[in-house]
Amino acid sequence: MMPILEVTGLRKSYGSTEVLRGVDLHINAGELVCVIGPSGSGKSTMLRCCNLLETPTQGKIVANGHEVTSPSVNINRVRQDIGMVFQQFNLYPHLTALNNVALALKKVQGKSTSEADELAMAALDQVGLAAKAKSFPAQLSGGQQQRVGIARAIALKPHVLLFDEPTSALDPELVEDVLNVMRDLRQRGMTMLVVTHEMAFAHAAADRVVFMDGGVVVEEGSAADVFERPREARTKSFLARYANGRAS
Amino acid sequence: MNEIIQNFFNLDIYAQVLPFMLKGLWTTIWLSALVIPLGGAAGLAIALAVNQSRNRMVRWAIVAYVDFFRAFPPLVLLILVYFGGPFLGIELNKVTAVALAFVLNNSSYFAEVFRAGLEGVHAGQMEAARSTGLTRFQALRYVVVPQAVKNVLPDLVGNGIEIVKLTSIASVVAIPELLRAARDAQSLVYNPSPIMLAAIIYLALLWPLTRLLGSLEHRRARA
Amino acid sequence: MIADSGLLFTFFNVAVAKQYLPAILEGTLVTVGVGIAVVITGTLLGLVLAIARSFGLRAVALPIVAFADIMRSLPPLVVIIVLYFGLPSLGVPLSAFAVTWLSLSLVLAAYAEESVWAGILAVPAGQMEAARSTGLTWWQSMQSVLLPQAIRRAVPPLTNRVISITKNTALGSVVALNEVLNTAQGATSHAGNPTPLMMAAIAYLIVFLPLVIASRSIEKRWRRA
Repeated sequence: MMPILEVTGLRKSYGSTEVLRGVDLHINAGELVCVIGPSGSGKSTMLRCCNLLETPTQGKIVANGHEVTSPSVNINRVRQDIGMVFQQFNLYPHLTALNNVALALKKVQGKSTSEADELAMAALDQVGLAAKAKSFPAQLSGGQQQRVGIARAIALKPHVLLFDEPTSALDPELVEDVLNVMRDLRQRGMTMLVVTHEMAFAHAAADRVVFMDGGVVVEEGSAADVFERPREARTKSFLARYANGRAS
Repeated sequence: MNEIIQNFFNLDIYAQVLPFMLKGLWTTIWLSALVIPLGGAAGLAIALAVNQSRNRMVRWAIVAYVDFFRAFPPLVLLILVYFGGPFLGIELNKVTAVALAFVLNNSSYFAEVFRAGLEGVHAGQMEAARSTGLTRFQALRYVVVPQAVKNVLPDLVGNGIEIVKLTSIASVVAIPELLRAARDAQSLVYNPSPIMLAAIIYLALLWPLTRLLGSLEHRRARA
Repeated sequence: MIADSGLLFTFFNVAVAKQYLPAILEGTLVTVGVGIAVVITGTLLGLVLAIARSFGLRAVALPIVAFADIMRSLPPLVVIIVLYFGLPSLGVPLSAFAVTWLSLSLVLAAYAEESVWAGILAVPAGQMEAARSTGLTWWQSMQSVLLPQAIRRAVPPLTNRVISITKNTALGSVVALNEVLNTAQGATSHAGNPTPLMMAAIAYLIVFLPLVIASRSIEKRWRRA
């Protein structure tokens, strides 16, 4: 079984600061992989390299059979296949929820307005926000905005979804709504790579957990293995700091 | 008191010169309608070039261009283009010279306004748009620039008003806009009333726009 | 490309430049003089008007608002021409220097008043309340608490305005003020060569380009605080 996403020897430096020091990672179809680790470990940077929002200094990334790091890559084509959900949602404030989701369908995939709107409504329905299609982001709660963000990402029917700390900017009461949508996506067989601080969610929902620290993967394994039987000292001390629920 | 009315608010003279002045007003309006879109488009292009370019030299050159034209009085620029042209063997017709001078001048102000607008749009917007496969151009066109324009709408309107006022300078090279019409009328009737009438017409045209600008600014400060 | 000596000979003619340099320098001095005078009186008047408006009396505020609106809606050249031809009929004959200075000061005062007023409005009401509650008089509170903050907010948008209005000293040439553009135009037709015009252009750049560049860093610094 070929992995949907494969990262090999990923390195990233900003000037003289090396943030990623050789990361290897892979996800298979239908897996939910959670990446955990302290701030500054490079988890978000690694994620953002996968759809080239950051340019790797060295290394190879292959997604859906396309080599993302190749110099001749058609990045816009590749990005249709990789969805991203942002910590700050990044919804377009001047467009309704429906148009936020439909924009790429119309402009990138060239769908007609009626076709795009139909697909967009279906995506919004899937995240439980069909009723808010005509609302603007400013009229939605944080949790609702993030769910629209998810709808925007899944509308293009990507093969893999990247989540960059999707609940970190949310008030605690709104976090569950978003996690439920993510669990639902998992049920439908979506391949997901999630950088998160939600330890309980990672423990319960992830197929595999990857622990990163200092720009490298320190340990990885099944959720049960990493959370209940950590092997590395660094993993143990990180988990000990956050014995209950959220890390920071 | 009577003297003031005789000299400034002479209704007979107003009636006499009004048709002539309205023609001048028309010139003011179409000259503005010509320059504003050209200046705005040029300014937006310049601001996008600075915003999107990673090349230090390009950014520096553009900043130099903007500062140069901000430092240069428009009247001097106009005179230079208008009278200097023939010395270079370039005969520019009046309107082209005026339009060129004005566009060079106000494209730099528009560039500054758009630059601020673009900088006010969060970087995450471009990232989100690109992450769904939109090209850089599409992302700018549908996501970034609309927000930038919305952010600086009051400043754009303000710039537009400035340009209408700027057209009065064209009177110096005898373009028959409103002020020129007033001054010509004045020398014909030996009375400064036409000038006052021009002032009144400018007020009638621009005061409401200035008020509109005020409420746009007020609304933005609230948001 | 235009024949190398041709362009230089026409616009940068050293002989002509030497001949008219004194006149150009004199004209530049007038330009700078009017400019400085306008900035001082204009900003002071604007500040005074904004403070007067903050008294809260309608009888005072309404004329000030009307003044500000009118002065910002009229082209500066129109103001100059109106005053230039109008004042003598009222028995107040003013020199071209005075008319230019007065007109531009009034225009700048209008913009300065609006900027300071916006700054005053932007300072939270709690500031004055806190100051008054410690026993400071109205004027003391204005002076030490409200105005410093209001002016700080007013400076960035105002620096741009000051530059564009002082550039309008060139308009004084229209009423025969002997500032540098006027001098250059006369010299150009006298010499049949546009070098004096070029010199005037360069003079303007020397005066205003540093101001424009300085205004960028002033804006940055004052916006941060």
